[in-house]
Amino acid sequence: MIVKEWCMYCGECAGLCPRNLIEVRETSLIFHEEGCKDCRICIQICPVEALEK
Amino acid sequence: MIVTDVLVIGAGPAGSSAAKHAALNGAEVLMIDKKSEIGAPKRCGEGVSKEGLKKLRIEPNPRWVTKELSGVRMVSPNGTDVVLDDEKVKLPEAGYILERKVFDKYMAMDAGRAGVQIMIKTLATGIERDGDGIIVYAEHMGYSLKIQTKIVIAADGPESRVGRWAGLKTSMKPKNMESCAQFEMVNVEMEEPDCIEFHFGSVAPGGYAWIFPKGDDIANVGLGILNTVTDKTAYQHLLEFVDQCPATQNAQPVELNIGGDPVGGLIKELLADNILVVGDAAGMVNPLTGGGIASGMTGGLIAGEVAAKAIKNNDWSAKGMEEYKNRCQEEIGDSFKKYLKAKDYMLSLTDEELNTIAEAFRDSDFESINTTELLKKLVKISPKALLKLGKLF
Repeated sequence: MIVKEWCMYCGECAGLCPRNLIEVRETSLIFHEEGCKDCRICIQICPVEALEK
Repeated sequence: MIVTDVLVIGAGPAGSSAAKHAALNGAEVLMIDKKSEIGAPKRCGEGVSKEGLKKLRIEPNPRWVTKELSGVRMVSPNGTDVVLDDEKVKLPEAGYILERKVFDKYMAMDAGRAGVQIMIKTLATGIERDGDGIIVYAEHMGYSLKIQTKIVIAADGPESRVGRWAGLKTSMKPKNMESCAQFEMVNVEMEEPDCIEFHFGSVAPGGYAWIFPKGDDIANVGLGILNTVTDKTAYQHLLEFVDQCPATQNAQPVELNIGGDPVGGLIKELLADNILVVGDAAGMVNPLTGGGIASGMTGGLIAGEVAAKAIKNNDWSAKGMEEYKNRCQEEIGDSFKKYLKAKDYMLSLTDEELNTIAEAFRDSDFESINTTELLKKLVKISPKALLKLGKLF
């Protein structure tokens, strides 16, 4: 997952990830992509379009 | 290894409330937060009801109250407005606009004064059951930590992972998560500067837009949308709203806030052995207004009291803490059910129906009008809207 520079680490993606794979830190996002099923919910719901596969 | 009775993860208002009340009732409490500054960045319109604070016995403090409100102005898509006066109509969220960065810190300080140990810049990274307790793995300034605790109170916000680590279904569905974007702006010219303002209809699909005055010409201007009903992002809708709204024609942003607001009501599983979930993580957000400060803190208060009692009784199993679920349902969940229905009704209305209703009720005296008269008026102006209402109740 590519996290764009303008990500604000709000965590909406983490709250909606059905597999609990996103870790929101103060100034970074960590995707545990090994369990990702490519549902792309995180990309679709980002309020500022900061995520890209 | 750090050892404690109760570990609260997340130092928002719900977490601080839980920590404070657990400590006041005799438990040894540690509260951790991943951020370097409690309360920042804010992710909120900052409105809280007077009644909510009163119930929590929190005295409004000029340090964190930026504005006392006198009512609500509701604006339909064509600009027709209905103004409800707080003195005449009991409004669920009319009260104060806060400075959350100060308020959240102040609530954490309250917890600290009650005896809570606080660690900031401390991120929980996993949990593991350990006999009848729990080990929480955490990181603090580059160091790994192990925290042994009897009870974890998960107050880690809408992005909650802690509840899910414990096997609870705390993840939200997109239809239950409002995607929000907000500017704090200056030069905002409101028609009713003492009222919070809601704008309904296609301006914010699946939600509404708001202007919450913070005193002088400053206001939080934001909106919440459902991604399931629009292809645009919350930020794109916000830019359009600011561009079109008469109050923000000369306004300039000084802060941008974004984030999710869980509006699906209380989650079904609020607790497990050793675990209580509170605040946004538990869906303690009014589904109609999106406000979650007072309800989250109420949940926190209950969680704190129940956790302390469980420690005293030496029983922190889900069964031993069942009181938490029952009290939350009674004090928070039951009222949310009616707000959920009201929200569904609001979202079912078209722009045209919203305009018709606003025009009909524009000059109504809500103090003297009763429910029957409201319904009679509704059937007269928009039978379709009444039919939709009937389907919900």
